[in-house]
This record gives sequence, C-alpha cells and structure tokens, in this order.
Amino acid sequence: MNELIAQSNMLLTDLSAQPMVLLIAVPLFAGIVCRFLPSKGGAVAAVIAFLTGIYAFLIAWPLFNAKAAAFSHHNWLALRLDGINGFILLATTVFSLLILIYSFGFMKGKDRQNHYYAYILWTLGASCGALLASEFILLLVFWGILGVTLYLLTGISGPEAAGAAKKAAIVIGGSDSILILGIALLWVIRHTTRMQGAPVEFGGPLSYIAFFCLATAAFAKAGAMPFHSWVPDCGEKAPASVAAFLPASLDKLLGIYFLYRTTTLFTMNSGVTTALAVIGAGTIIFAVMMALVQHDLKRLLSYHAVSQVGYMVLGISTGTPLGIAGSLFHMLNHAMYKSCLFLCAGAIEHRTGTSDLDKLGGLAKAMPVTLFSCIIASMAISGIPPLNGFASKWMIYQGIIESGRSGGVLWVVWLTAAMVGSALTLASFVKLLHASFFRQPSPEVAAAKPREVGPGMWLPMGFLALLCVAFGLRYLSPLSRFIFPAVNAPVSFTGKWFVGPATVMIAGALFGGLLLYLLGTVKKPRVCRTYIGGEYLDEVYISGSEKSTARDVEVTGVDFYQTIRDMTPFKQIYTMAQWKLFDLYEVGTHVSFFISKIFQFFHTGVLRQYISWYVIGMIILLWLMK
Amino acid sequence: MSGINYTMIPLFVALPLTVSFLIMLLGNRVRWISDMLCTVVALALCLLSFYAVGVASGSGPLVYRMGGWLPPAGICLVLDSLSVFMLVIVNVITLIVTIYAINYMEQYTAKSKFYALFLLMLAGMNGVIVTGDMFNLFVFLEIGSIASYGLVAFGTEEEELEASFKYMIMGSIAGLFILLGIGLLYSYTSTLNMADMALVVSEKSGSKLIGFVSVLFLVGFGLKGALFPFHWWLPDAHPSAPAPISAMLSGLLIKALGVYALIRVFFSVLGATAFLPVAMVLGTMSMVIGVFLAVGQWDFKRLLAYHSISQVGYIMLGIGLGTPLGILGGLFHLFNHSMFKSLLFLNSGAVDYATGSRNLKELGGLRERMPVSASTSMVASMSIAGLPPFNGFWSKLIIIIACVDAGHPVYAAWAVVASIMTLASFMKVQKYVFFGELKEKFNAIKEVPFAMQFSMVFLAAICFLGGLLLVPAVSGDFLQSAADTVANGTEYAKMVFQSLQ
Repeated sequence: MNELIAQSNMLLTDLSAQPMVLLIAVPLFAGIVCRFLPSKGGAVAAVIAFLTGIYAFLIAWPLFNAKAAAFSHHNWLALRLDGINGFILLATTVFSLLILIYSFGFMKGKDRQNHYYAYILWTLGASCGALLASEFILLLVFWGILGVTLYLLTGISGPEAAGAAKKAAIVIGGSDSILILGIALLWVIRHTTRMQGAPVEFGGPLSYIAFFCLATAAFAKAGAMPFHSWVPDCGEKAPASVAAFLPASLDKLLGIYFLYRTTTLFTMNSGVTTALAVIGAGTIIFAVMMALVQHDLKRLLSYHAVSQVGYMVLGISTGTPLGIAGSLFHMLNHAMYKSCLFLCAGAIEHRTGTSDLDKLGGLAKAMPVTLFSCIIASMAISGIPPLNGFASKWMIYQGIIESGRSGGVLWVVWLTAAMVGSALTLASFVKLLHASFFRQPSPEVAAAKPREVGPGMWLPMGFLALLCVAFGLRYLSPLSRFIFPAVNAPVSFTGKWFVGPATVMIAGALFGGLLLYLLGTVKKPRVCRTYIGGEYLDEVYISGSEKSTARDVEVTGVDFYQTIRDMTPFKQIYTMAQWKLFDLYEVGTHVSFFISKIFQFFHTGVLRQYISWYVIGMIILLWLMK
Repeated sequence: MSGINYTMIPLFVALPLTVSFLIMLLGNRVRWISDMLCTVVALALCLLSFYAVGVASGSGPLVYRMGGWLPPAGICLVLDSLSVFMLVIVNVITLIVTIYAINYMEQYTAKSKFYALFLLMLAGMNGVIVTGDMFNLFVFLEIGSIASYGLVAFGTEEEELEASFKYMIMGSIAGLFILLGIGLLYSYTSTLNMADMALVVSEKSGSKLIGFVSVLFLVGFGLKGALFPFHWWLPDAHPSAPAPISAMLSGLLIKALGVYALIRVFFSVLGATAFLPVAMVLGTMSMVIGVFLAVGQWDFKRLLAYHSISQVGYIMLGIGLGTPLGILGGLFHLFNHSMFKSLLFLNSGAVDYATGSRNLKELGGLRERMPVSASTSMVASMSIAGLPPFNGFWSKLIIIIACVDAGHPVYAAWAVVASIMTLASFMKVQKYVFFGELKEKFNAIKEVPFAMQFSMVFLAAICFLGGLLLVPAVSGDFLQSAADTVANGTEYAKMVFQSLQ
C-alpha cells in the first residue's frame, strides 16, 4: 500500500510539471469544484470558470509557440504537440474564454449555473486532452467524456431539450463505440495504438473498415452526413452559448482535426477519397437545402453548421496540400463566424424571448452591434470576399481543381456542389437577416421592447466579427502561422487573389450603389399611408378582427423558398426529409423498435412455451456438442 | 496466523446461515434486531472478504477441510483468487443493499422474514463460491435459488406470485439437469471433489459422456445465469422482487450461481475447450437479443432486467474468447456489471419509493425533486452504456479489443451494436424519468431517506473509480490474479493438492 502511495506521489509530481497535463487536468478539476458548489453559487462558479479559462489560454499560448512537445508516462499516458494540434489547441482555449465571457450575461439568473460552468470546464479539459493525446486509448477516453458533456450541456436548458440531448448522446456515444472498433482493428493491423507512424496501406477489408470506423467518429463529432442529425436538434434546443461552443466551434475543430489525423495514418487511395468527396459534397448541398426551409433561427444556423462541414471534408478529400490547408483554414474560420452567429442568435433570443423567424423582425435599430456582427458573419459564411470565409473556400476550390489534374471528371461535380452550396448559403442568410433585423417588428417583439445586450455579450460577438474581417483581409498571416505548419507539404496557390485591389473595388461598388440609392430615391421620397387594393391598410381587416399592419402585407423573406420547395425533384426530397428518412437516428429507432417487437412476440409469459423453448435450446446444444 | 486464515473460509457460509435462523427466531419479537443483525453480518462479511484478498494473494489457494477429513474423501472449501474476487463483489453489494433495505423495506410487512431469506440467499451464494465439492455446489445453489424464489414472491401480489412460480419451475428443472450432470460425472470419476474430479477427467480422455454432461451444465447453469436461450424466467422474476432484491438478483445471483459456476466447472474441472465457442455464440446472442428486447420496454425494472441478459452476454463473450485479455475483460465486466446494475435497480427502487410508479411514460422531470437519485442513475447509465470515464467503458473496451485481437472482428462488431443500443435505451430512461417535464402529481415528492441515498452514492463512487482496477498496482492481487486463475484452467487441481500438503 505504501508503495502504491509513493508511486502515485511520484506520478503526481511528474505530471504537475507538465504544462500539457495541467492544461487538461486543471479545467477538469475546476469543473469538479464548480459541480459541487451549492446551487446558489452560480456567480462563484462563473468566476472560477473565467479564471480557469484565462489560465488555460496562458498555458496554451506558449505551448503553441513552442510548436513541438512530447510527454509520455508508462507508455499509455502519451501527449504530443505538433503542427497540427497546436493551433487548434490555441483556438479551443480562445473560444472557451469567449464563451465564458458571454455566459456571464447570458446565464445570469438561470438555473443550474454551477452545473453549466462545470460542464463547460470539463469540455475544455477534455477537448485539450483529445487534441493532445497521441495514444488512441487516451484519445478515446477524452472523446467519450466530450460526448457526456455535450449531453449534459444540451440537457441543461430544461425539459424541452431532453429529446435533443438524448439524440446527441446516442449519435455521439454510438460513434464512440464504432471508434473503439476502429481502434481495435487498427491495432491488429499496426500493432501499436500510437497516433503517429508510418501510414497504413489499404488492403483487405479490415483496413477499409478500420478507416471508416475512425472516420465515422470524426463525422459524427463534426456533424457530417449521415451522422449530422443531432446538430440541428442540439443547436435549436440547447442554450445559444452551448450551441456556439460545441456544435459550432469545438466539435468542428475536433472532428475535422481527427479526420485529418486519420487520413495521415493511411495512404489514401482514390476509392476512399471519392467516398469522402461524396460525403462532403452531399453534406454541403443537402444541409443547405434543409437550412433554406427552416423557420427557427438557431435551427437554420445548425443546418449551416452541417453544410459547412461538407466543405472541410471536401477539402481533405482532395488530398492536395492546398485543399487540405483550405479545409483546416475553413474549419478555423467556420468556428469564428458560426460561433459569432450563434452568439447573435443568443442575444436576439435573450432580448425577445424567441428564436422563431416568423415572430422576429425590426431589430436593426434596437441592436446595432448584434446587427453588425451578424451581417459580417453572414457574409463570411456565404463566402463573400474579402472576408475569411471566402479565403478558405477559394483555397478549397483551387484544391478541387488541382486534384482534377490527375484525371477523372468527378471533380467538376464536387466543384459545382461547393459553388451552388455557397450561393444557397447566401440566399438563406439573406432570409435570416431580413426576417430578424429588417422587416417590420412583430407585435411580440415590439412588446418585448428589445435593446442591445450588455457588453459582456456583445464584446465576444464583435470580437469574432472583427476576427472574421481580419482573417479575410490578412489571410496570409494566419495561414502561415497556423495552417501551413500543419500541412506537411509546401502549399502553393494556383489561382491569384489580390485582396487589396479587390477590396477597394468591392468597397467602391458598394459605395457607388449607395450613392445611386441616395441620389435616386432618398432625396424626395413620397410618403403616404400604406394602401392595399385602393383602401388604406389600417382600415381593412386581414386576419380575424385585428386591424392589419404593414407587417401583414409585407413581402416576407421567410417564405421565398416556397417556389424551390414546390419544384419537382425537391418537393419529393423535402417530403422524404419530413418523414425523417435521411435521419439515421430516426430510421435506427424505427428499425430497433421493430426488431424489439419481433423478439417480444416470443416472450408471451406462458410457462409451457418457455419450457418448450428451453428444451429446444438444449436439443440444439446437444446436437452441436455431440 | 495460518490457522486463522483457514478457519475464516467457512464463516462466509456459516455466519449468514446462523444469523438467518436467528432472525427467524427473534425478528418478530424485537423490531430493530433484524435490521441490526443483518447489517452487522453484512459488514463483517464485507470486511472479511477484503481481508481474504490479502490472504489469498500471498500463497496459492487456501483449503479448509470440513471436520478435518482429507479430500478427496472429505469435503473441502477452497479459496483461490477467483473465489476471492467473487466474494468481494458479493459481499460489498450485499452490504450496500442491506443499508438500502433498512429504509426501503419499511413499505412491506414482515421485514424480519425478508432479512432471513436475504441472508439465506447470501449463504447460498457464498457457499457456491467457496465450495470445492461438486455436490455441495449443487446444495448451495439450491439454497440460494430457493431463497430467491421466496424473495421474488415477497410482495405476494398476483404478478409477483406468478413470476416466482415460473422462476421456481424453470429453476427446478435447471437444478435437476445440474444434479443429473453431477451424478453422471460421479459415476464416471468416482469422486465428488472438484480438484480430484479434474484430475480424473484429464486422465481419462475422449468420452462422449463429458460432452453430454457439458450440455447439462450449460443448460442448468445457463438458466441460473440467464444466458440466451435459457433466460425466459428473468424478465418476469427480476422486476417483481422488491428493489433491493432485484439488485441482488441481477447484480449477484445470476453471476454467482450462473456465470461463476459455469467458469468454475468448465475451466477448473472439465477443461474449457468445448465450452469456449458455445459461450461466445450464446453470449453474443444474449447480448444482442437482450438489448433489443430492453429498448422496447416501458417498465423501468423490466428494462433493466433485459439488460442483465444482455450484459451477461458481454461477460460470456469475453470469457468465451479464452484469451487472457478476453478473460480479464469478462471478469472485469462482471465486477462492473454488479456495481452499475445494482445501482440501477436501487435507483428504480428510489423512483418507485418516491412516486409509486415504474412506468417510464408516467414519470418525468424527477431530477428537479430527486437530485441524488438522478445524478447517481446518470452515473450508472453512463457506466452501463460504456461511456468514459466510468467503469463500464473500460471493460467493454477490453472485451472489444480482445475480440478483434483473437481474430473475431464480427463478434466485436456485435458488441459494438449492443453497446449502441444499450446507450440508446439508457438515454431513453434518463429522458423519460429524470429529464423532461415534471408531472403535476409528482410536485410534492421528496428525495428518498438518507440510508438509501448513501447506498446509491457509494455505488456511484465505485462506478466512477472502477477503472482504477486496471492499474496494475491495484489489480495485481485482485482482478488480474482472478483472471490468471481462470486462464490457468485445470491447474486448479494441482494448486489445491499442493496447498493440502
């Protein structure tokens, strides 16, 4: 026993000297402290969490600058920092810190704050662990803890989130089990559970199964199809800060990181890359089509969070350094603008009490910072130059084109999918911006008297929006600092993009448009009462006995997709989506209940039958073991 | 020193047996005495089992000669690493369940009868674990089973009596098969001592009889262990019993009487070669079919009962692999399953105690009112679903890796399927019982009394820390040496005879 204590003492001293270990252990421990604070201690928990967040950042920054570090203990506790995970680690701590700052205002007065901060801290610690682990088993542990905290964080917003939490837990937890299988198979192939080493050549079914098992875990975490269906539910029902934290940023970082890590462990062949590209392109198009028809702000954003993963997967599938660099850059950019968007949604929900696009409107004047951040982030996600979303998409496009040089025509399909997806993204964000900010305010919103959120909430939003601009304008500097070290090959651009002149031209065009607008209409607007069919609007009754308002006759942006919805191929697809045919989780539920029914059929509770089955079982055994 | 060690062994049987009858005599006269006696016995046995860990790890197995007679003529009790492993599990859970029962069983009349039967069942289980004699194995098995028939029917409602009746009929059939098997083996080897029997069986090889006897044992112990297709009694019997008993039945009885007996008889006595593939196939079928049956259930305890079938499947799959890693995983899962399944049944009991309902559709939102039950059941659900860092994760991980390592990736895939379904059904439990909307009629419910909370928290702590058993410094004398004992197979006989000299 004494020996054991001495051993663990030594282990502890050994470990506590390691910044990488501290980065994992301190948030986990601080989380435990928060979790067991009395439920009134929400403010204390917030402070502890904030300090821990700063601490994590202060550790992650020198680690990132150090570029490389390795640590292993007893062979299984192996951590390793390299070009790939260093910048993701830094990004993780930054996002955590921003979310924690945002949560000060957002969570004020809500129940279970101590739980909330505990789970956030556990997520932070486990994410750092999953990123730094260089041993598959260790990764698996942290990966699984992340599933648990996702479940707990989603469920925190109350009874209505129970279903979404369950779904997220089953999809993520299920993919963890598949990951175990993948790791076991890979172990049999490679005889090591280290995450570095010579890549495995594909050959025989086991290596393919192993690859796709690992990829499944990455897809489920990142939210690529067909394991995406937890993202929209989680994004809609979880608190906005959680949606911004997990499905929007951290899960993407981790999922794509792991996918990339996995591809470095295998020598990719064209069959596998095509499969990845199909998943990527399919995810882009399908999810963006679903996003178009959503009426809930957070759900719409979640579908985009799925759609954007498609770009990242597509970028990795190109196999070219440029495509991969684009993919990793897109991952980072996506985390910024999507977090920003979810935080905006949270701010809107915080002030109006709803995230239903049909009930929103007219927030432009009331919430200027939110509007500003939201516009920037919307343009970034739609890939409008010169913002960061454009820079990374541009790299992915070039990567696709470059991969086409080695032959084949499929790259045209991938490129088309990526570009069409981009256009549709823009369409749905026009809808979002119009519905929430620019159209006439609804009675509910007017009654809520919205005003701008406090600085604790708008600072993270504004910061992220500015980051989107900065990463777009000076895209070469983050690329060379963060991304290029992660790609083990020199990256060269094939197409040229001059951000300076282009920005000037775009700004000029915008200015010109504004000028025309001011010259043409604003000078002498004709102001009159709104009328419809020759009668003044406030004298006709449109809906029930209520007097109609300008909102009723407005051309809404929310329903503009109806024409697409009624077109022939799309109509059927949307109907199938309504039946949840594309939702692996729902399909799985039905199938397993069906199987359950079959087995239950035999459990009649009649003793005679049970004894008969018993004897039949015995006879079969006798026959087998004769 | 060694004198004390040897005399310790019969205490595992004698103590609960004596106190059981004592409680029957005194329990009705003095109200508090049965509570106290039972708790004291459980505590004593628990401490004794911990002591046994230290003792057994020192030398080979300890053998106690009943009445001083030398085996093979005399009856002996054997304490080797596997027995110690099982004894710790059984007696720890028993202690926790006893503490829980102090409050819980207030709902029933005749609490002292409950304790008497409870200790009788404990005596049966401990007896099965420590015995070194085939016929005694049968006797203890029947003692444990008969006590459990009584306990299943303890509520004496229609449903409970029916379940108990079915359980009794099927259990008796299984008992007869076991007895027949033992009789045939006796006629074949002319001895009843396990170690001696093992020697004789290994000397006389190639008889058809061994195959037949193997089937009889598989069918018999398989029923006690609820292995598919001999599991039919379990989904009725386990939910019908009072919650502490459900915890004992699912957590311990099926393992002591079923899984342990199978391991002991096949690995230590008969030699495991023919048993392994059958155990793997039956284990996998139990695992998959059990979990699919569970996922469609709406009765909390019945759902848990089906999961017991499924989890026993995991254990058998791991052990059936026959590789050291597989056996380690199987035994570790046995330990873990005892912990989390007992906890889950205690949780269901707490819910039943507070709300009077076990129907998932009627419940909801209980985490608002019952935070301790909610968080402990969350821990247990995560454990059984195999999410890290809880104990179930580690054993499932080992079993899956062992499957692939032994060249059976298809079995591993089935284990993954079952794991996903397990997760799904426990997420369902969490959603419908503890998350969701709190029903109006449950607005006034309160958290359960302290003793019940204590038991649940204690088990949750074990679930949380269970992974530490894999650390070599901790597991060397306990889990690892138990797995080695199983893997050594019929070395058992040699060890026993060695320590007799």
